Amino acid sequence: MKELLENKYFHLALRIILGILFIYASFAKLFHPGDFAKAILRYEMLPVSLVNLQAIIMPWIEFFVGILLIFGIFRKSTSLLATASIVIFLIALISAYARGLDISCGCFSLEESSSKGDILFRIIQDFFMLAGTVILYLFSEKPKDKQTSPEQV
Amino acid sequence: MKIAKQIIGILVISVAAAFIANGINPKGIPLFMEKNIYKQDTTSKNNIGEFINDPFDTTSKPNQLFFSGKKNKQGFIEPENISLGLAKQLFDRRALFIDARTKEEYDTLHVKGAINLPYHDFYGKSIPEKTEVMKKYGKSGIIVVYCNGGTCDISIDLAYEIAKLGYNNVSIYKGGIKEWESAGNPVERR
Repeated sequence: MKELLENKYFHLALRIILGILFIYASFAKLFHPGDFAKAILRYEMLPVSLVNLQAIIMPWIEFFVGILLIFGIFRKSTSLLATASIVIFLIALISAYARGLDISCGCFSLEESSSKGDILFRIIQDFFMLAGTVILYLFSEKPKDKQTSPEQV
Repeated sequence: MKIAKQIIGILVISVAAAFIANGINPKGIPLFMEKNIYKQDTTSKNNIGEFINDPFDTTSKPNQLFFSGKKNKQGFIEPENISLGLAKQLFDRRALFIDARTKEEYDTLHVKGAINLPYHDFYGKSIPEKTEVMKKYGKSGIIVVYCNGGTCDISIDLAYEIAKLGYNNVSIYKGGIKEWESAGNPVERR
């Protein structure tokens, strides 16, 4: 099992799948921050004044994380950032589900139609993504410090 | 340590890209949502004596404006915040109470006689669709929009959506259903 988790081709596949998902999720939001702000508002979680800032910034973090994942740049940092993002999404989704909010997820598209099944599906999907990013984080090599690795010149 | 530096780097680049993109995007939005434009409770200056018509009666002559009646730059009269006391007075005078929450929440508990207009459904509709939904209510009648109270904001959002359609006397009861119920005012369950 450990061999698989450390296998570089397994990591490559994970990175590409997760990277594509992140970029895909960011795409609609990148160009329609207003619609995404409305989607965030529906969660009734953030102070209203901060909703726009999150709607402007969050999609770009997703986008860059997706790009870096695919190209395998800063693997440990990127997978940590990806994990943190998914944990935030999960908290929002689970809390919306627990409160019985009848809202659409706003995860991949900014559709207005809603169903509780959609939220539940996204929660399960996010747990799978979380497993992927955690594996990438735990089994990626640490970034080498120049001082501690003199062989790397 | 190196990881922290890389993460900060990624975040800084993301934030910079976000601000630039939002700046040049014609659909860009202000950095902070403007909610501080809402007026504070103006209960004292409202003249309840002017309120004579029935919000359900679309045939009645336009009522004298209940609130200040000044249009803003966007051409509509902004909703006003009202307190529990005024909300109760308006309730007694058959103002139209609109519950902005979901149907499930509305079914669990709502102000007696209130109608349910979930903000999340209403927001996505086109203007003709919104007008169609609202056309059975008189434009000059008093409308009181509420949600859960506390930090919930959908009453504000829904009130603005309705005001933009040309409804002149829209008010926001921010105390919401929680305050309303705990004050012992009439509620009903479905």
